[in-house]
Amino acid sequence: MDLHAALSLGLPLGIGIAAIGSGIGLGLIGQGAMQAIGRQPEATAKIQLAMIIIAALAEALTIYAFVTMFLLSGKI
Amino acid sequence: MGLEFLVRVRRTALISGGLLSLMIATYGRLPLGIAFAAGVAWSLINLFLLEQLIVTLTGADRRETSSWLRAGTSLAGLLLLFAAGAWTLSHLSIRAQLLGFLLPLGVIVLKALSTVTLQSAAWRAITASRWRAAAIVSVLLVAAWWIVPAVLHGARAEDAPDVSTQQAETSHQATAHGEQESGPQKFPSVITVLARAYPEAGWARFLDRNEAIAFALLVAFILCLVCFVATRNPQMIPTPLQNALELVVEGLHNFIAGIIGEKYAPRFVPFLGTLGLYIWLMNLFGLLPFMDSPTSSLNVTFALGLIVFVYAQWIGLRELGPLGYVDHMLGSPRDLTGWLLAPLMLPIHVLGELAKPISLSCRLFGNIFGEDMLLVAFVSLGITCLASLHLPFGLPLQLPFLLLALLTSTLQAAVFMVLSTIYFLLMLPHEDHDHEEAHSHSATPAQAH
Repeated sequence: MDLHAALSLGLPLGIGIAAIGSGIGLGLIGQGAMQAIGRQPEATAKIQLAMIIIAALAEALTIYAFVTMFLLSGKI
Repeated sequence: MGLEFLVRVRRTALISGGLLSLMIATYGRLPLGIAFAAGVAWSLINLFLLEQLIVTLTGADRRETSSWLRAGTSLAGLLLLFAAGAWTLSHLSIRAQLLGFLLPLGVIVLKALSTVTLQSAAWRAITASRWRAAAIVSVLLVAAWWIVPAVLHGARAEDAPDVSTQQAETSHQATAHGEQESGPQKFPSVITVLARAYPEAGWARFLDRNEAIAFALLVAFILCLVCFVATRNPQMIPTPLQNALELVVEGLHNFIAGIIGEKYAPRFVPFLGTLGLYIWLMNLFGLLPFMDSPTSSLNVTFALGLIVFVYAQWIGLRELGPLGYVDHMLGSPRDLTGWLLAPLMLPIHVLGELAKPISLSCRLFGNIFGEDMLLVAFVSLGITCLASLHLPFGLPLQLPFLLLALLTSTLQAAVFMVLSTIYFLLMLPHEDHDHEEAHSHSATPAQAH
């Protein structure tokens, strides 16, 4: 397998794998936040703020894979 | 005009000389920058020693032994300086050193000129009216716009013989351009269009290369203009624009104060709020037709991340003190376990600090760039769908993603701002932070009931 084939196979797969991880993480964050809001509706604003921050942190991992793909996609 | 003038000249020359030598070392060659810095340093020390010598020789206490001693040391310093100058002249580039040597003298001339003009009647006549000053500034700008290229062309015509190198350069640029085009393409912006229309013009190529910076400056300018217009004539019953801005600023203040605490809010809200607003506008700017988000370039986002990083370290050093800063980096060890873990905590903390600007900038860049790419992909998909009909438009498949782009733009600006706030908060002293937490813990059961 030469470099081009490896890159064109590996880059989309890498993003997909990263997205699986982020997706699981986002799902757990959303579940936790929804439960918390359900228990304590008056704290919705605080919970949403924390949820958004943590969701951004979880989502960033996929974005890193995405950036890597764009850095390497010139070599395909 | 006296010794205080010389002190100011020294400070200006020191700052500008340092910046200029850094620029020369970065954009030119390193030895040239070092030579320039050596020239500036030599010139400054020379001026300082001469000043000392003259002050001691003409001062009131010139008959005493201490002043003789000081004059002697100044003379010896001058001799040493000449020896050092001879050494540097024989080892470093003479032209750069000469330029550096002339810099403090140039600063003196400019400062003297400015003091003379500022006191003259002509200057007062010009600055009496705002419009007259603006007119003269614009005339000067236009003149510079015409004169500088003419001078540069003249200089280029003088060393015309090496056409071959120029050709090689252009062909190299052409290949570089071709490589750029093969990568993923964004929507064309005004600057891209201009660069395509005038591929030979220097200014178009310059703008094209610094596209992100040009748009970032444009956004900053718009922000400044809006704020200036809104706050020019503040009133108790606000005009609509003033009202809107007050709403935004108050919202930002409450939001940040909710995280960082009311005590520090007045200090950090101006910086953090500006950061959030600026990034938000830059993100949204790419959604305008023929505009481009500056934040879809890693250079801009990394610069923003670097600013936050440096400011956070500065806050840590200021608020905790140098010892407290090291203590913070060691994980604030207070007992035996803490000290045993300190060698482990130090690299973790240092790496964590270094990772912050990288993660901040990569997150912003990736989101905005990805959003742009998504729009491009769906626009081209919409065009391909209708390609067989030969229509001058495509299906508007990108519309739902425009709404998504609005959401991500706002969210990413907020995330950048919130994370910067939290990085600052982590650097601030922990006592009242803990106190606040305890307070909120005690408040929670009351809220639950």
